[in-house]
Amino acid sequence: MPVDPITLTIDDKEVTVPKGTLIIRAAEQLGIEIPRFCDHPYLAPAGACRQCYVQVEGQGKLQTSCTVAVAPGMVVRTQNTSDAARQAQVANLEFLLLNHPLDCPICDRGGECPLQDQALAFGPGESRFIDAKRVFPKPVPLSPLVGLDRERCVLCARCTRFCDEISGDRFLELFARSAGERVSIAAGEDFRSPFSGNTIQICPVGALTATPYRFVARPFDLTSGDSVCQHCSAGCNVRVDVRRGEVVRVLARENPDVNDAWICDKGRFAYRHADAPGRITTPLIRDRGLEPASFGEILPWLAERCRSGRVAFLTGGRLMDEDYYALSKLARTVVGTNDLDHRRAFHGGLAEVVAAAAVTDRERSVTYRDVEHAPVILLVGLDAEQEVPILHLRIRKAAARGAKVFVVHPRRTRLHDVAEHLPTRPGHEVFVLDRIREGVDGESFEARAAAALRGAGGSGVVLVGERLAEHPLAADLALAVASKTGSRFGYVTRRANDRGALGAGVHPSLLPGGRRLGVAGERAEVEAVWGSIMASEDGRDAQEILQACADRLVDVLFVIGADPLRDHPDAALTRRALANVGTLVVQSIELGDLEPFASVFLPAAPAAEKDGHVTDWEGRSQRIRPVRDALGISRPDWEIFAGLAAAMGSDLGFETLEELHEEMASLLAPRAMPERPNVWAGAGPPQWLDDLTLFTYPLLVDEGRLSDGAEELKAALEDPAFAEMHPVDAEKRGLADGVDVRLTTAAGDATVPLRVTEHVAAGSVFVPFNQPGLAANSLLSGRSTASVTVAAVDEGSGPEAVPDAALATGPAA
Amino acid sequence: MSGTSPTPEDRPVDRAADRAVDRRPAGWWAIVKGLGTVFKQAFRPDNTEQYPKEIAPPPERAHTGRHRLNRHENGLEKCIGCELCAYACPADAIWVEGEDNDPDEPVSPGERYAKDYQINYLRCIMCGLCVEACPTRALTLTSYYEMAFTSREEAIWTKEQLLEPPPPLGTDPVAREGR
Ligand code: SF4
Ligand code: SF4
Ligand code: SF4
Ligand code: SF4
Ligand code: FES
Repeated sequence: MPVDPITLTIDDKEVTVPKGTLIIRAAEQLGIEIPRFCDHPYLAPAGACRQCYVQVEGQGKLQTSCTVAVAPGMVVRTQNTSDAARQAQVANLEFLLLNHPLDCPICDRGGECPLQDQALAFGPGESRFIDAKRVFPKPVPLSPLVGLDRERCVLCARCTRFCDEISGDRFLELFARSAGERVSIAAGEDFRSPFSGNTIQICPVGALTATPYRFVARPFDLTSGDSVCQHCSAGCNVRVDVRRGEVVRVLARENPDVNDAWICDKGRFAYRHADAPGRITTPLIRDRGLEPASFGEILPWLAERCRSGRVAFLTGGRLMDEDYYALSKLARTVVGTNDLDHRRAFHGGLAEVVAAAAVTDRERSVTYRDVEHAPVILLVGLDAEQEVPILHLRIRKAAARGAKVFVVHPRRTRLHDVAEHLPTRPGHEVFVLDRIREGVDGESFEARAAAALRGAGGSGVVLVGERLAEHPLAADLALAVASKTGSRFGYVTRRANDRGALGAGVHPSLLPGGRRLGVAGERAEVEAVWGSIMASEDGRDAQEILQACADRLVDVLFVIGADPLRDHPDAALTRRALANVGTLVVQSIELGDLEPFASVFLPAAPAAEKDGHVTDWEGRSQRIRPVRDALGISRPDWEIFAGLAAAMGSDLGFETLEELHEEMASLLAPRAMPERPNVWAGAGPPQWLDDLTLFTYPLLVDEGRLSDGAEELKAALEDPAFAEMHPVDAEKRGLADGVDVRLTTAAGDATVPLRVTEHVAAGSVFVPFNQPGLAANSLLSGRSTASVTVAAVDEGSGPEAVPDAALATGPAA
Repeated sequence: MSGTSPTPEDRPVDRAADRAVDRRPAGWWAIVKGLGTVFKQAFRPDNTEQYPKEIAPPPERAHTGRHRLNRHENGLEKCIGCELCAYACPADAIWVEGEDNDPDEPVSPGERYAKDYQINYLRCIMCGLCVEACPTRALTLTSYYEMAFTSREEAIWTKEQLLEPPPPLGTDPVAREGR
């Protein structure tokens, strides 16, 4: 029984619903469908379209059922039992169609359009209007992604309300009144919101349409599969639409536990990578000039090399849980190495322990619901909008419910209108966290955050981004803040299945379930299932593996679903490593930049063609089903690992997904959090450095591989490379906004335009990780931060220019 | 498909005669009546058409031949690439891909045109449901029924082929297509 139950009668049937329920929802519970356009379960009631009229006994006028809450004993009559309601609905539909162009045959919504469907079900059937209709120019591009057809708009205000209430990116507005009323955007503006695509999906007519999907298919062409987005760790539930084997559209699938009804534009529009021209669907072998070969030829060849040589594995963050598990077992029990890593950046030693705790400690972990209902949220080292966009929407939702949000980040995030920001120089988060942990008094940011977390009575939430884990103490300290204030603690990885990789133990010192290789008892638990683990020393992490490859200490390097040339934060080292390693095995959907280095290519199937699980940042493992058959002879990664094990004369112990799941379940079951060494002994006063710290993280839309082919998305949301600097620092160096500057670090230099902005912390310089024009990993040496010098480059005074002194004395005769 | 099979009108007569023979005892009158039928049939004018030596003009409203995609008088294609024909087709014989019209050089009036349009005549059953579905009268069936193929590819007609008016019946397909 719901709290505060209210019983009412709709169409002579009784229903009991919680207080505050709208009539339209109560009717839904009885299976009574009331036509509607503006009503949306995730938006506030608006009463804009007037379609949902019902009769409420005792009230003179008809009521809009989407705005009126139920009352005890209310008697409601819908179109089913009230002529007045039915006539009003018919009249309203006729009114909405008055100026509607009825170009359904060419409308992208045709066939799945609420206006079409409801006009058919509840409308008059015949039009009485023979006069000319209102015309607007169409389609008006609101951005490279969204087109607006004002003739079709029914002025329901769903799109404008989404922008106001959900994304907070208030681009769309209703202008003018009466017949001239229309949705519009400020002149010269682009609908530059990473959530713009949601307005297309909730528009109840074909007024907002997606440019990449324009005229591409009709609903009856499509076969649809339920999937989970692969672009970030938010784990958004999506529906993938396929026309004749080609992915042509991605839509949000409602899941109130994860993404509500929303996805970001990257998830919606970056779907062409699996069909990109570079896709390879057969194994290739260098000995034959990268010619196609069969698995039967390649695996024994490879097995021979793995038996005799030193082997290391690097993976990306977007394989399935099953793939990671199989790899972890392959490396440890067949190949005999712990040199495997899924991470792209250096992570401090304690961070592993924190991460392991996050994997195992379900009691204190954070879910979307916890975020939504938290009274206080502290975010450290995470730009949620750019890194995990749907988490950003949840934080906004919490803020709208009154949560206090505190953000410690070197760069202002898009939460700035709902949160308190403390711009913190990268590396100095520890000092902030230490003060919050101590619970300093006073009016400072730290004092307020500490007081709020303490006052939250155990439902506060501390979320740390994976960049924070680079600092040896910061993540551990954040966990200490959480324990001390009784808050929940979430470690937010970025890529779709980083969390699954961590859980499966694709890590130099962690085994499945966060068990530590170096702790005999924990290792024994894994050996009980796996048999003996061949190497007992902790392995090398990603940076060390690449270093070892560069030093010719590794004979066979597997690069699996990753492109370290783009992703690893040390481009020069990666290049040397790839050039020096004896055998480079690339297992992916394409070769890309790795082509000149690869000895062997093994064709893996992309997520759209695989069956398995991915684990989002919460630790929620969600099943993905293939939406189409694997192309060529590409295969799920775990099958390739099992094949390699067989070729090495061994056996991973599973041949089907079911057997694999059974084995995984025993090792990945929730465990109590292991004892952690508590080495934190106070940070001491901050070391204020005089030089500048360069920091970088990937923005949502960048040159990442998975965005290949998403040209409209890039046109809408991608910026060319830039550097951001605080005005104080810029002034010191005499740099103005917009000038080109040369950034020089120990690893290299680059020239990019400068933005002078108070949105970055003083003492720091931000460059995005992988925008067109600069791959920031060429400036890094294994961490996401580096000490940097910044100087102006102007025409004429570049390195080649003749020095003034030389001009003054003239050339030697 | 020339007129060698019994016409629909013949069949009920024959069946009635069969039943009559079954029920009665054989007698001289039955023999006379049976022979009468034989002679009546023997001297009826026959329906055999000398196809392809002589090609009778098809009845005026016989739309049982290949499709045609029509044009407006100004030369623009009537087809707007809406795929409704493809949706209506019970045999899944039609493939349409839409595309944006270039406003300066439109292929059809309005925003959308058919970038690709194909009909697979190995599938088509000439039912005409596609024609009924077409909102612009772009698609009609003709009475051109002379279609023979030697490969699957040939059976799939492209938009260019379908835009061509059908040639007179009896035109040698080799001469017609240059194949
Ligand atoms: S564009 Fe669509 S969502 Fe926006 S007001 Fe018009 S009909 Fe509603
Ligand atoms: S928020 Fe992340 S998971 Fe969700 S749609 Fe966007 S990229 Fe995909
Ligand atoms: S005539 Fe019938 S079977 Fe042939 S294409 Fe049209 S709808 Fe399909
Ligand atoms: S032929 Fe007619 S129904 Fe078929 S796509 Fe063209 S306009 Fe639409
Ligand atoms: S749905 Fe109720 S007024 Fe629009």
